Amino acid sequence: MSRKQLDHTLLALAALVAFGLPLVVTSPTYLQILILLFFYAYLTTAWNLVGGFAGVLPLGHAVFVGIGAYTSSILTLQYGVSPWIGMLVGGLIAALVGVVIGLPTFRMRGAYFCLCTIAFAEGIRVMIENIDALGPLRINGPRGLLIPLKDASFWHYQFMSKEPYYYIILTLLILVLALTWFISRSKIGYYLAAGGEEPEAAAALGINVANCKLLSMALSCFLTALAGTFYAQLMLYFYPKGLMGLDLSFEIAFIALIGGRGAIAGPVIGALVLRPLNEFTRIYLSDMLPGLHLVIFGLILILVMLYKPQGLTAPLAALYDRLARKITVPGDAR
Amino acid sequence: MTAVIQAALNGIMMGAMYGLTALGLTLIFGVMKVVNFAHGSLLMVGMFSAYWLIRLTGIHPYLALCIVPPILFVFGYYLQDVVIKPVFKAERQVREPLTVIIVTTGVWYVLDNLALMLFGAEYRTVRTAISNKSFALGEFIISVPKFSGFVAAMLTAAGLALFMRKTKTGMALRATSLDREAANLMGIDQYRVYNIAFGLGTAIAGIAGCVLIPFYYVYPSVGVVFDIRAFIIVVLGGLGSIPGALLGGLVIGLIESVFSQFMASTWTEAIIYAIFLVILFVKPSGFFGHKQDW
Repeated sequence: MSRKQLDHTLLALAALVAFGLPLVVTSPTYLQILILLFFYAYLTTAWNLVGGFAGVLPLGHAVFVGIGAYTSSILTLQYGVSPWIGMLVGGLIAALVGVVIGLPTFRMRGAYFCLCTIAFAEGIRVMIENIDALGPLRINGPRGLLIPLKDASFWHYQFMSKEPYYYIILTLLILVLALTWFISRSKIGYYLAAGGEEPEAAAALGINVANCKLLSMALSCFLTALAGTFYAQLMLYFYPKGLMGLDLSFEIAFIALIGGRGAIAGPVIGALVLRPLNEFTRIYLSDMLPGLHLVIFGLILILVMLYKPQGLTAPLAALYDRLARKITVPGDAR
Repeated sequence: MTAVIQAALNGIMMGAMYGLTALGLTLIFGVMKVVNFAHGSLLMVGMFSAYWLIRLTGIHPYLALCIVPPILFVFGYYLQDVVIKPVFKAERQVREPLTVIIVTTGVWYVLDNLALMLFGAEYRTVRTAISNKSFALGEFIISVPKFSGFVAAMLTAAGLALFMRKTKTGMALRATSLDREAANLMGIDQYRVYNIAFGLGTAIAGIAGCVLIPFYYVYPSVGVVFDIRAFIIVVLGGLGSIPGALLGGLVIGLIESVFSQFMASTWTEAIIYAIFLVILFVKPSGFFGHKQDW
């Protein structure tokens, strides 16, 4: 077996397992955990387009999740538009907001950029919390929006069981991973990497670093907002503090950094490590001692940064490389 | 009008508390070029230290000022030495290593939730002899603990500025802040300077904790209230600038207090963010910042 065949077989196997999982996991609780795992992996992959490839650390991406959720929900509640269409509208609005935020902030150095994205995100959240109605649009302030149950159908984006949600988020995740893979091998991917590492050198080579970053920001915000609609339809209720707070923004960044920034598989590996850990420690430990699960979370964050500052993907990839070399025919790898 | 002036006075005194918190943050950023996301948690540690010291021994709250800051200096010194320094060393070639930001965030999670495990989530306050004292200034009423906090903030800022100018250690701190490599070549141990900067920043959080405790309440996530404001303040004043942090704190406290006379206090938060963003776009280096830092 050649190396390429091995890679493809494993990838197909992973996809098969992912698609077959609902046949084995029938408990709605565990299915929900899996759905949220993919949801976070998806969000982090979208974040990775800016945070990983463009080499900055945005800490306010939850606001785009919020924009997606609010746009599609308001359109559904007040105008009867299908959430699928609302999802695309929300994505476009998020992309626009992302560009507006990116225009002035991408000039800044690391720390300023971080603080600026936080300020933008928190500012928008506080504003939404203070507004009950914006013209004809009912935003409902801090109470959030409740989406009433309708007939379960694809058009309404509402289903009787968890399985359809599972397959929707899985499909979204695979699409965004494919897109990331495609971008990382395209010209713009190289431009972004160059601009992220050495902006001055990249600019000297004639790369328009700012435009590349803006493009990746727009794409990242668009994709992030799609997940916002998904979340709204999955939960059928959301409020600003829970949906757009700093907690979500930070968790996305944590997953990316623990998985490995800029690596395509990083967000998936990060989510595979952090999400179950988060869920199970919360379920089993928080009854014993409130806060213990977050102490463990923080410690893991610190330890990974101490020993594997590049994230877990690189050492795992090296391990896989070693194993693969033993299985495949020597000399066939190249 | 009287109400507005009274609100302005209160705002300035609360703003001095924000400024005091921001002072430590700006010192750490100035020297290490790292935004310390754990800073609010360090303030929380300072407040809890002061709280327990006063509760258990019954000493005067301002006597705690001689005990808590030195303890917090040692705490901060070794926190940086043991937890943060190794990441710095691993990413030596990066000017502003973002992984360090994530480490400080991890420290924030650990400290806040350790406090939650140990002390529970309830709001705690100590009734001290001065908690309810106030004096009149013309027709305005000034609370004694808040005024002492204001004085302590001014004295701390002045003391820190003097320390940075007049002592050898202070000069080493300033040299490292200006140019890490050049300071290294002059024989300054960069990582020891970082330890001292982080220790001093933590000690200042200890001072803030001591003066806050007579009139504020402490709970495990109290730091978040001050954290976000401190971030805004340091950018407003110029990251790394001592007078900037103090002035920024006063401005934010003033805006918060005066605006809440005219509108719901939840809106003042939005206004603070808006002002912050306007300043970032118009003058990103803030009141006193160096252009090189942004």
